[in-house]
This record gives sequence, C-alpha cells and structure tokens, in this order.
Amino acid sequence: MRELVPWLTLIFRDKRRLVVGALLILLTLVSGLGLLALSGWFITATAVTGMLLAAGIAAQLNIYTPGGGIRLFAVTRTVGRYLERVYNHDTVLRLLAALRVTLFQALSSVPGFQRQHLKGADWLARLTSDVDVMDTLYLRLVAPTLLALLLTGGLIAVALFVYSPLMAGFVGALLVLAFLLSTAALHLRNGEVARQRVDGQNALRERLIDQLRGQAELTAAGLLAQTHEDLARQASIWSTDQSRLGRNIAWHRALSGICINLAVLVALWVGLELYRGGAISGPVAVLMPLMLLGMAEVLGPLPDAFGVLGSTQAAARRLNAVSNAEGGEDRGRHSDTAGGTQDASLLLSFQDVSVCREGQVVALEGVTAAIRCGEWVGVVGASGSGKSTLLDVAAGLVEATGGVIARGAGLQRVAYLEQQTVIFNDTVRRNLVPDGRQLDDALIWRTLALVRLDERISQIPGQLDGWLGRLGSQLSGGEARRIALARTLLREADLVVLDEPFTGVDAATSAAISCGMRQYLEGRTLLVAAHDASAMPEVDRLLMLQPPRGE
Amino acid sequence: MSATTNPRETRRWLSELARGHRRPIALTILAGTLAGVATIVQMGLLAYLVHQAVIVGAGLPSLVVWLIPLVVAVLVRGLAQGLQGHFAANASERIRGDVRRNLMASWRHAGPQSLKQESPAALSSEWIEQVEALHGYYAHFLPQMVLSAVVPMIILVVVGALDWLAAIFLLLSAPLIPLFMALVGMGAEKLNQQHFLTMGRLSGQFLDKIRGLTTLQLFDATERAAADLEKASDRFRVVTMKTLKVAFLSSAVLEFFSSVAIAVVAIYIGFGLLGYIDYGPADQLTLYSGLFVLMLAPEFFQPLRQLAQHYHDRAAALGAAELLRARMACGSSECVASEAAGGEMTREGGAISQAVVVKDASFAYQPGLPVLDRVSLTVEPGQCLALCGPSGGGKSTLLNLLAGFSQPDFGVVSIFGKPAGSTPFGWLGQSPFLLQGSWADNLRLVAPSASDDDMIGALEKVGLGPLVNQRARGIHSAVSETGHGLSGGQARRLALARVLLADYKLVLLDEPTAGLDLASQRILIEGFRQLKLAGKTLVLATHHQSLLEIADKVLTLDNGGSVHA
Repeated sequence: MRELVPWLTLIFRDKRRLVVGALLILLTLVSGLGLLALSGWFITATAVTGMLLAAGIAAQLNIYTPGGGIRLFAVTRTVGRYLERVYNHDTVLRLLAALRVTLFQALSSVPGFQRQHLKGADWLARLTSDVDVMDTLYLRLVAPTLLALLLTGGLIAVALFVYSPLMAGFVGALLVLAFLLSTAALHLRNGEVARQRVDGQNALRERLIDQLRGQAELTAAGLLAQTHEDLARQASIWSTDQSRLGRNIAWHRALSGICINLAVLVALWVGLELYRGGAISGPVAVLMPLMLLGMAEVLGPLPDAFGVLGSTQAAARRLNAVSNAEGGEDRGRHSDTAGGTQDASLLLSFQDVSVCREGQVVALEGVTAAIRCGEWVGVVGASGSGKSTLLDVAAGLVEATGGVIARGAGLQRVAYLEQQTVIFNDTVRRNLVPDGRQLDDALIWRTLALVRLDERISQIPGQLDGWLGRLGSQLSGGEARRIALARTLLREADLVVLDEPFTGVDAATSAAISCGMRQYLEGRTLLVAAHDASAMPEVDRLLMLQPPRGE
Repeated sequence: MSATTNPRETRRWLSELARGHRRPIALTILAGTLAGVATIVQMGLLAYLVHQAVIVGAGLPSLVVWLIPLVVAVLVRGLAQGLQGHFAANASERIRGDVRRNLMASWRHAGPQSLKQESPAALSSEWIEQVEALHGYYAHFLPQMVLSAVVPMIILVVVGALDWLAAIFLLLSAPLIPLFMALVGMGAEKLNQQHFLTMGRLSGQFLDKIRGLTTLQLFDATERAAADLEKASDRFRVVTMKTLKVAFLSSAVLEFFSSVAIAVVAIYIGFGLLGYIDYGPADQLTLYSGLFVLMLAPEFFQPLRQLAQHYHDRAAALGAAELLRARMACGSSECVASEAAGGEMTREGGAISQAVVVKDASFAYQPGLPVLDRVSLTVEPGQCLALCGPSGGGKSTLLNLLAGFSQPDFGVVSIFGKPAGSTPFGWLGQSPFLLQGSWADNLRLVAPSASDDDMIGALEKVGLGPLVNQRARGIHSAVSETGHGLSGGQARRLALARVLLADYKLVLLDEPTAGLDLASQRILIEGFRQLKLAGKTLVLATHHQSLLEIADKVLTLDNGGSVHA
C-alpha cells in the first residue's frame, strides 16, 4: 500500500472537499437505510395498532411523525444522491487536473527525460490511464471503505444499546466477515493477477505491432496464419487470467451478500426473542433486520474497487518510478566539459568525443571538431553514423561518455531542431513561441515568410491564433517541418542546431529557405546535419562522419 | 475507412456476436432470475416470521422450522449471484476471443497493402483496447437488460397477488422511469455536441505536452506549458460539469421514483393496516402481506438501478463496436475471391508454364481510373525484372498482384504454374518483420532447420557479422536490446539474410533500398546479385539506378500502360 501514499497525500490536500463529499454520500446511505427501516417500523406499528383497535382496545399511534420521516428520507435520499454525484465528480475532475499538472511538472524537471524513459509507443497512453486510475482512488476506494466501516460500527452500536450484547455480537461478527470478504480477502486473491494486467497487455501489444509491421513479409512466407494463431492463443491466456478477476469479484460479492442476509436472519431471530421477552416492542424488532438489508448497498461498491486494487497499486508504482526519475544514469559520471575555451573566437569544440549507450552500443566515436563563432558547419554521414547524437551533445541534451567538450563564453543559449517534427495541438502562435514570451507579430510573420508559410497561415481561420493539429488545421509533413524550423529560428540563441531541417520539403522551397536563412541568421552560428550536402543550406565547412566500428 | 455512423447496424452487429454464444448468456440470465426468485422467497419468509411472532403470537420454538427454508433461500441467492457473475465472465471472454480472431482474419483478407494505410499502433489499440471495451456490455449490460424486464415482472405478479393496488403503484412507475431517463439523456447528449470542439481540444492537452516534452524543455517552455495545462484542465472541468449536471439528473429520476415508491407503499400499507382506507384491497392487508410488499418494493427497482450503473458500458461498447465493425467491413470488401483469377494456368500447348506470367492484367482502385491497363509480362526462372516508373504509376500495384496481395480486376497472374501467393516466396519491402527474440529466432522463422553456422554465414553475407559478434551471446543475443532497435538498414539486411537462408524460388522487392544510406544500399545490392547467381527469380520495383543495372529486363509502368525495355 506504500506506493499509494504519495497519491493519497496529493488527493488529501483539499480536505474540505473530501469531507463534504463523504458527508453527502453518508447522507444518501443513511437516508436509504432509514427509509426502509422506518417504513418497516411504521407498518409493524400500524399492524399492531390496527389489530388492537379491531379487538376493541384503545390504542394510539402517532402516524404523522413517522409518515413525515419516511417522506423526508425519500427526499434526502434522492437529493443526496444527486448532490453527491455532482459534487464528487467535480472533486474528481479537480483532482485529475492537479494530478496531471503535478506529474507534468515532475517529468519536465528532469532534463532529457523523454529520451531516457521512452520505452515503446504505448508509454504515453499507459501514463494517462495510470493517472486516470489515481483520480478515482478516493471516490471508489477510500470513501466507500471508510463509510462502510463507519456504518458497520454504527449498526453494532445500535444493536448494543437498543437490543442486546448478543445481537451486537452476532451482527458485528457477520458484518465484519462480509466486510473482509469484500475487501481484504478479495485483494489477497486478485492482487497478483491484477498487478500483472498491464504488463501482459503490453507484451501482447508489442508482439502485435511487430506482426503488423512485417505483415507483407509474413504473408509472403506463408507464416501469417500461424503467427495470428500464436497471438490469439497468447491473448486468450491473458484474457482468461483477467476474467478470473471478474469471477472472483462476483463470488466474493455473493459470499458477502450471504453474510449480510444471514445477519438479517439472526437479527430478526434475536430481535423476536427480545420481543417475546418483553425487552423491546414488535416494531423495534423489525428495525434492525431492515437496516441490515440496506447494508448490501453500503458494501456494494467495495468488491469492484478491491478486486482491482492490484492494478491500482501497479499504476501507482509506475507513476512513482516516472515522477521520481533521475536525470541521467550514473555511467561513471564522465566530466565532459573542460570549462571554457582558450580561443575566444571558438564557440564549441569537441576533443575525441565518444558517446556510448547501454549495452555497449557505440553511438558516436572519437569526434574532434571545432566550431567558430558565426561559422556555418554542416555534418554529413550515413544513417547510423551518429549525426543526431553529435547534435544532441552539441545542444547539451546528451552527455558524452568519452572525450572533452569545451563551450565558449559566447555560448549562452542553443536553439535545437530535432530530427522528429513536433507540432502541438495548439495555436500557431503557441507552436511558434512555446514559452509564451511577447514577440512582435511582424517578426513572426517575417519568419513565416522565410519558411514560405506566410500564405498558408494567413488562410487558417484565426491566422496566428488559429488552431493547429487534430481538431484544427492539419499541416502536411513538409509544412509541419517548416513550422518547427520557424520555431527554432525564432528562439534567440547563439548557436542554432538543425537536424535534417528539410525533411519532407521539396527542393525548390528548401533552396529558397536556405537563401533567406543567411540574412536572417546574421551573426549566429549554425550547425546543421543531413544525410547529404544537398539537403542543407550552403555551409562554410563540411564535417564527414564515419560510422562507429561495428557497422 | 468510412466514417459514417450507423447505430442500428452497430447494435445489430453486437447482437450477432452474442448469437454464437447463447448458452453462457442464457445461463447468466437464468442465474440472475434464480437469484431474484430466491430473494422473493427470502423476503416472504422474513415477513411471515414477523407476522407469526408479532400478530399471531406464535411461540418461537414453533417457528424454528421456518429457519431452514430461509437459510436455504439465502444460500441459493448467493450461489445464484455468484454463478451469474461466473457465466457472464465466460460469455464475455468467449465473445472477445471470437472478435479478436475475426479481426485478424479480416486483416489477412485485407492483405498487407490496405493495412499499410493504418498505423500499427492504431490497429493494435483496436485489437486490444477496443475489444476489451466490449466486456462490460456482454458481461453486465446485456444480461441486466433482460433481467430488468424479467425480475420486476415476477415481483409485480407476487405483489399483485398480495395487494393489487400496490402493484399498480409499482406498475405506473415502470414506464415513467425509462421515459424520463431517455429525455434527460437526450438533453445531455445535445449539450455534449455543443461543446464537442472545446472538449476535444482540452482533453488532449496533457498527452500532447508530454509527447512534446523534449521540445518544451529545449525551448524553456515547461513552466508556461504547466500553467497552460492547469488552465485547460480547469476549463475542461467546468465544461464537463455542465453536461454532467444534466446527465446525472437521469439517475436522480431513478432514485426519485424508487424512493417515492417505497414511501408511498409504506404509507399506503400503514394506513390500510390501521383501517383508514376503505376502497380497494386494503382491508385484506396483514402484517405479512404488508411487510412482504414493502421489502419487495426496493427489489422491484434494483435491477433497473443496476442497469443504469452499467449504462456507460453500453456507450463504450457501441463506440468500440463501430470502429471494429468498420475495420472488418473494410477487410471483407477487399476480399475478392482470393482463389480467383490466378487459378487458370497458362496451359499453352498443354505444358504448365514454369515462368512468372502476367497476362492482360488490369487493376483500378477506383472505377474508371485504371492503375494497370492490360499489362503483360513473362519472367523466366532465374531472370530479374525491374519495374520502374513514377510513383503511383503502378509498380507497387503490379508487385502486389504478383505477391497475391490483391487480385487483378481482369487478367491472369501465375507464378511457376500456380496462383499468386500460393507458395511461400521472399518479400523485401520497407518494413521488415522483427521478431522479439534473438537473431537465431528471427532467422529460424523461415528456416526452422537451419544450423547455427548457416545462420552466421547468412548474417555475414549481409554484413551484419560484426554487429552480431559485438553482442555477448552472438546470434543468441536479443535483436533489440534495451529499447534500441535496429536501424532501417540493419533491419532490411536481416530480412535479406532470411531470404538467403530460406532459399525461395521467387523474391519480390518493393523499393528495397529506399531511404537507406550508401553502405547499406551497397550491401543489399550485392545480396540481390547473389540471389540472382543462385538462380532465384527476382522482380523488383524501384527508382534506383544501380538496381536497374542488375536487371535482365526493365518494364516501365506509366499510368496503366507499360513499356518493355
């Protein structure tokens, strides 16, 4: 349960809302119990009174108070249920917002987080669904459990003071048993399988994606049907395990229901004995069993929550791992920066720089280069030769594992355009100036004209405040790349690093942009990488990168 | 894939899926009904006991005998409820298994070409998550729909036998509840539509920002992004609550009728027992019938309340079903008699041709716009044919016909005397298959009896020798270690190694060198030369000059027409 603590702490920050929400649930549950019990009391009382009246005995019964009470409970149950749902859903949505913002802040405070922790395409979807599980932690798990315990205690107390210790003993024992069956016992049974639910799902997904990617080859080799059968079998195993969770939940709920109904039976019997003994009246003897009938609704939500507690724990554990992530593994901390450069005109210099990834995979080997202020340097090499890694090191995204990097005093800020294009589902303005700083619109339009997108953007509804991405204007591959390029150029930086800036952009437009860039980037240093000299602007110097050994 | 929504078709599709698994669903409903009946018996016995003890004044020892059926009723109720859940899980599991198999079958029918349009991540999400979304519908909602009709009816009959006026109270509420709930539901839906665009834009913000996290960090924009996220989440909450406040009214309606019915019944019975009511069946009320009716009143509404709890399962399943149905319809429409045109073998002069022959093949993606127009070619065994031409000119289409991935609208394709795709052949495209496993696993996929030496030899021929030797366990080490996969060039070379090992008679190549660096290209081209030397028949679709050099024949395809060279 330890993994849930940080999330519960976060959730309990707004105690007032949680308490009010819990009270509303309590109001609804008590009204439900009260409605049935009071009605039973009322009917028994009227039956007894009616029987006496029919026998000619003068008997009195205040019918207005209980009648009013019954009507009141009916109203409070309905109103309480509605208010409870509205209020608690509002609380849940607030929690969701708080959780997501907190998680985002934790992740963004780790430099290079995405590079290190991006394990597969589904990582993001899993993260989101894990967060979604947390925001119902209170509503589905904590609150119902606490209220069930509270009401169980209340009923035992009523049994003790209104009836007899014997009643309290039996009722208490059976209710506690019902509670344990719905909670702890179920978690013990389901925990392991529930914890592994997501892992199993991901293993399945990875295999499936592999097969889909290679469908042509598999079909050609006549292996497709076989591969599909293997997958179906693996899915069936996973599915059976998960079904077991649902079955256990159903059985435990049924067993818990048996305990409650036996408690009703016992309460009735003991109550009738007390009635026979003259300790209590007939109507009162009916109260307890009817209240116990209502306990089924109180314990109702518990099996569903505890049956999947294992996967809730696993979700919390994953989120903890992600939000406590360290920035950079300890690879025998190689100090790669030798302080400043001796030569003032030198902006950045590499001395025999190597980058080694996990598993002895050499990404960059023994690179020596120097970049002077205001210089335009191009890097070409085959795929796998380490161009992107070199740029990552230059931009400070990745640490070198060997060699020395010296950064000149003039190198304050770097603007980096990565190989993969990122467009946010947001306005054009926010895509171009993500940090939201105030920029002259004229400058923005000038930059858009440079990348030949001024006409395109002026056609979007809202222009600079128009929406890009899904549910907005869709950009083609080349257009998106140019937006990313414009974003990089708009950033005030001493060194501009571009990784394959013209992917998806046709030759004519690339040439035109390259021309305009000379004037735009006057005075700034440029480091650009591509697989070919023709895919980059005209540079002063060209570095040829050899693939590291092993290729 | 068509985006038209057709709720009726979708619902019918969902019902048809259930048709093959009537037994577990019927057992679920039966168990649920049994639980309902046991509940009625339990309530009746409880009411009877109270009546006997309080009104009739029977001694408790004489009532002990009634405890036995009471305990039995409780146990049967529990057992039946457990069985209901058991069979429900069964039904859902089987149906989902079926859907997964059908989905994969539709992928096989659609063929590799049409599937290329979709991302593997989207397809796999359909196969895993969307199918999972069907669970709640078959396990909970569907049986509960039947039970909300059956059980209340049984209860109504029992109550009717006890007091017909009370039965009328209950009966009146029955149609009113779904009516009001539907009205409210429609109102909520309308609100939903109004806010669709806003909600769509707001709900994706978290994912969006995480996805672009590195960019945000590079541009010092994380603080701004966090502030934006907070604002967006708050707006999302406000807009969602507007819709939810209306949607929750529907459950409030249910609670209202349920609570009011209990109150009305209680007060009616109370007054009736006091003798204040002189119309209707009130004078026949006893404590037994009164308590019995009271305890049955909430049970009358319980199935409907449970149905409402599972209502979102239905919505989720309908959404998923629409996607799945559209996907499977896509697949089957492309399944043009796959046994089809390839059958008739060019029996020219009685001999079955041993060449790769295409005769007058025509293919059009859209009627009237033929991509291939009466194209014919013959490739003798051991020859290499290159297909070139502009993109969209028909190279890939023709290659697909040769592969048997699609069927020609007219004409005949035959591979060494057999229909296209009937015997295994080599395919080298741009997205090779990578098995999650070792190098050896990947190679043995197509050559199960290959020895370690054979495999090492094949890998060295494609220049992957050094890479494999670098790994600790050689060919038995995992292909993709610690999340770093193979580069594009390396993956295609692995596929080439497979083709070399598998010794296919025919190898089809779809732009095999596209997007590769020079070193990888050189190695691949050398590998193709080796295949030719080994007597394999090659057909490649390419722009690449160096590849054209190894071809014996070149066919240029341009908007349907063809020019031999």
